[in-house]
Amino acid sequence: MKDMIRWFLLFILSFMLIGGKWAFAGDVGAMLKAMADPAGAPFYPVVMQVLQVLTWMLHMIFVYTSIGGLFFTIYGFTKKEERWQRLAKATLELSKVSVSLAIVLGVAPLLFYQVIYDPLWYTSANLSAWWYVLFIVFLLIGYYFIWGAYFTKDKPSMSMLMSVLGVLFLLLVGFIIHVVNYQALYPEKWVEWYTDGGRTMNISGWNIYAFNVFRYLSFLVFPSIAVTGVFLMLYNWYFRSREDMDKDYLDWAGKLGARSAMYAGIGWLVSHILYIFTIPADWGAKGSIFTWLSVLGLVLCAGVVFSSQKNPAKMAIPSLLAGSVALLLIAVFREYLRVASTARFGYSIYSYKLNLEFLSPLLFLGTLLTGLVLYAYAWWMAYQAGKTPKGKVYEASETEHHLGDLSVFVVILWAIVFIGVGLIVVVRNYG
Amino acid sequence: MDVLGFYPMWYVPVVGSGFVIAIIAAIHVMASHTSVGASILLAYLATKAYRENQPQIYDYIKKYLLGLLVFSYVSGSITGPGIWFSATVVNPRGISALIHNFVWVWAAEWVWFIAEVTLVYILFYTLGKIDQKSWLRLAWTFAISSWATMYIIVGILSFMLSPGHEKWFTTGSILDAFYNKNYFPHLLERTSYMFAIAGTVGLAIAALMKKDLPEKVYKDIVKTLSYWGIGGIVFGLMFFAWYVSTLPERSHVILEKVIPLYLKLPIMLIILVVLAHFVLAAVRPQAVRFWMAYPIYALIFFMGVYPEEKIRETIRKPYVAGEFVWVNQIISRDVPAKGIKSEVPVIDQKGLLTVNPFVPEGLKKINSQNEIMAGKAIAILQCSGCHNVTGSTGLRPFGQKFAGMTDPNAVYGFLTSYLRDNHPPYMPKLVGTDEEIKALSAYIAHMISKGGSVSAKIEVPNTSAEAKKEVQP
Ligand code: HEC
Ligand code: HEM
Repeated sequence: MKDMIRWFLLFILSFMLIGGKWAFAGDVGAMLKAMADPAGAPFYPVVMQVLQVLTWMLHMIFVYTSIGGLFFTIYGFTKKEERWQRLAKATLELSKVSVSLAIVLGVAPLLFYQVIYDPLWYTSANLSAWWYVLFIVFLLIGYYFIWGAYFTKDKPSMSMLMSVLGVLFLLLVGFIIHVVNYQALYPEKWVEWYTDGGRTMNISGWNIYAFNVFRYLSFLVFPSIAVTGVFLMLYNWYFRSREDMDKDYLDWAGKLGARSAMYAGIGWLVSHILYIFTIPADWGAKGSIFTWLSVLGLVLCAGVVFSSQKNPAKMAIPSLLAGSVALLLIAVFREYLRVASTARFGYSIYSYKLNLEFLSPLLFLGTLLTGLVLYAYAWWMAYQAGKTPKGKVYEASETEHHLGDLSVFVVILWAIVFIGVGLIVVVRNYG
Repeated sequence: MDVLGFYPMWYVPVVGSGFVIAIIAAIHVMASHTSVGASILLAYLATKAYRENQPQIYDYIKKYLLGLLVFSYVSGSITGPGIWFSATVVNPRGISALIHNFVWVWAAEWVWFIAEVTLVYILFYTLGKIDQKSWLRLAWTFAISSWATMYIIVGILSFMLSPGHEKWFTTGSILDAFYNKNYFPHLLERTSYMFAIAGTVGLAIAALMKKDLPEKVYKDIVKTLSYWGIGGIVFGLMFFAWYVSTLPERSHVILEKVIPLYLKLPIMLIILVVLAHFVLAAVRPQAVRFWMAYPIYALIFFMGVYPEEKIRETIRKPYVAGEFVWVNQIISRDVPAKGIKSEVPVIDQKGLLTVNPFVPEGLKKINSQNEIMAGKAIAILQCSGCHNVTGSTGLRPFGQKFAGMTDPNAVYGFLTSYLRDNHPPYMPKLVGTDEEIKALSAYIAHMISKGGSVSAKIEVPNTSAEAKKEVQP
């Protein structure tokens, strides 16, 4: 009899648990659906998703060289040897330019993310509102420290101090964006977090609710060193052809880069796997192909870097390619996690409301093509100028002049079309 | 259960969360207008250097470019996303409405943004390292790319104020939304003033280099900048008048009745100062001084750009986007073309607290125990975008607006007859169930009787689990 009652109670309890979970998943699902913007997406969500993944990868490359560059700078400044001092300045320069690129490239994933995952992004940002704003403030401060380091680069101790402060702020910035990305993955906890279980409303915006150290290490800290290591190999490769550069120094820097890339790559792999182990079981992530592809990518990349140790300059481009593939697979894995998490509540970007529209995608396409012509010309000229020894002027060839004329032409054409369309619309609507 | 897509609310006591946007936006406007204006001025100067064979002008250009990189690009490229970041936590549904309409337009701007940022570095590093003609081409593409970012953002900013035409609500056409009534005057006004801003800092840089440049070159540069600057101010004023004439009705009311003189007057003053400075520089280039030009540049920020941003933000009220999203995040009208429905009827029927998923269960059903706290939550959710709802200082504080009203019934009468049934053009209609308005009244009367200031903390008597149990016995 006692057993019967016990079993009966257990049955009721498990029913409550499961039923409660269903009801709860329903609530969270309804909330996510309600949050998705009623304006709908102006274009196929899958396109947004692909662009988000691709541009995130580009963003991260320069985030890594910003932070990694500073690590090398700081270490280099502690060394007496001339080549370390020289390297410290070179990676400082790299870091300085990279922050700009990281910022502009970060804008694109931010756009696409907010179109298809608006419930996740806006909630997570608002849960930690002050931190989200401080992201900008800290980035500004950090970047000015890096410029400060750059302007004082001939006073190593001063410059090192500035670099240390710069990297600390950037790591803090990375911490905040990490928190925002990470909190976003737990919709079932948002209300609980925000209301302290129903006791209040945390309107102050000062709370941080979730952090995962392995994710932070594997998405930010280790790759920074590894990717910058690969950049040093590229540095070796690019400047070798310039006769006013010191070959021994370049080869040394390339070797250093290859070695750092290898050791940091191992750290990256380990922290990545540890992160995978912390993912909740009900997402089904551990059995997913995307998870293991990301690990495989890292292993392959480590292999290429391992075989580059002897001749880093020659292996610079293959290492870059291998690294890009690994990073792309990680970007896909990160996106897969969002899909896996939100699928638990029936949210899918593929069923996002559509308000299809073709003119603005066309504008983007046209602008992108125009931009690509311009980028090609500008970057090519910069590449040539960089290869020209100090004190000499690079004279453009006939073809380069043509490309230059073309890029001026397409940019002006773009402006005329843009304003012309505007005039027509305004005259039609208000004339 | 009915839920609407609200996000967790962020409340900044006293000054209000909008203040955070205003500061970041003002820095951004200053930096971006300096950069865009300078990109065109520098391309023009470089052309002059090339045509008239005055290579010393390049020394000036190089200094200016470095200044731009360090001051404008660093702060401009960070505060640009910064406006967006701060808007995300102040007005998530407003920014979301913009992004869902204009994502591709923004993506197009991004193409130019990349061009701009990479070109400023490339121009700086390749000056004197590639032939003049190639450099000149890069300088002009840089100038047009920079200006193109303005072509784009101005359309979105204007749409925030108003789609301009009723048509958009039924066509939903991106062209109608973007090229709205306000677009061209707004674009031309900014384009004009940016030359005055970039010209002023240009004079400061020229003054610093007076000793290093031959007199003729120096004079040439100063005069060129001054003419552009004078033109910028004159045209800016003209386009401003046009801009004002395209504002919607409510903005005119706000401009007259709500915007205080201490925001309008400094703008007029600084315009005069900048103009006088350019005239002086054009007539007597040698008289230009760094210690004069630079402070004037700084004053443009405090007396011109910051008040302008505040005013622009205020005349948009009570909306944050396209005349269908209110400052308090509520969607207030149908947009048939997009299938967007006004949320006001649902809220009036079910209650604001009920439909917001981030309101604790224990506040959703109002009783004598939780009434004050429920009222506080309503005030924060519905009014804090424009009012300090927990004090009597700072942003249009409730402590002052309701001074003396310690009787809940009196507050209730005022709220219903004024804000709910007959709201002014600068405020959204008061929404919610009758019990909710009573709770809001009780809270307001309570805070006034406490001296007009209470803590912003919301304390719920019951946890969510307990509250749920009560509802389903
Ligand atoms: C879109 C911004 C906005 C919102 C939201 C808003 N107000 Fe106002 N409110 C204003 C402005 C602007 C004024 C004009 C007076 C001023 O500038 O001080 C004002 C004035 C007032 C006044 C003084 C009477 C008057 O018309 O001058 C009261 C009372 C008031 N608001 C109450 C409220 C309450 C209660 C709420 C929330 C339900 C609220 N407001 C929401 C913008 C807003
Ligand atoms: C230089 C400073 C920056 C650092 C160190 C940094 C670092 C990072 C890191 C570590 C992530 C991954 C976080 C995670 O998933 O746990 C990330 C993602 C992201 N960053 Fe940055 N970032 C920087 C600047 C920016 C800027 C300025 C923007 C916006 C303009 C931006 C936009 C984004 C976005 C949108 C994502 C998420 C993208 C996605 O999931 O698709 N970042 N960043």
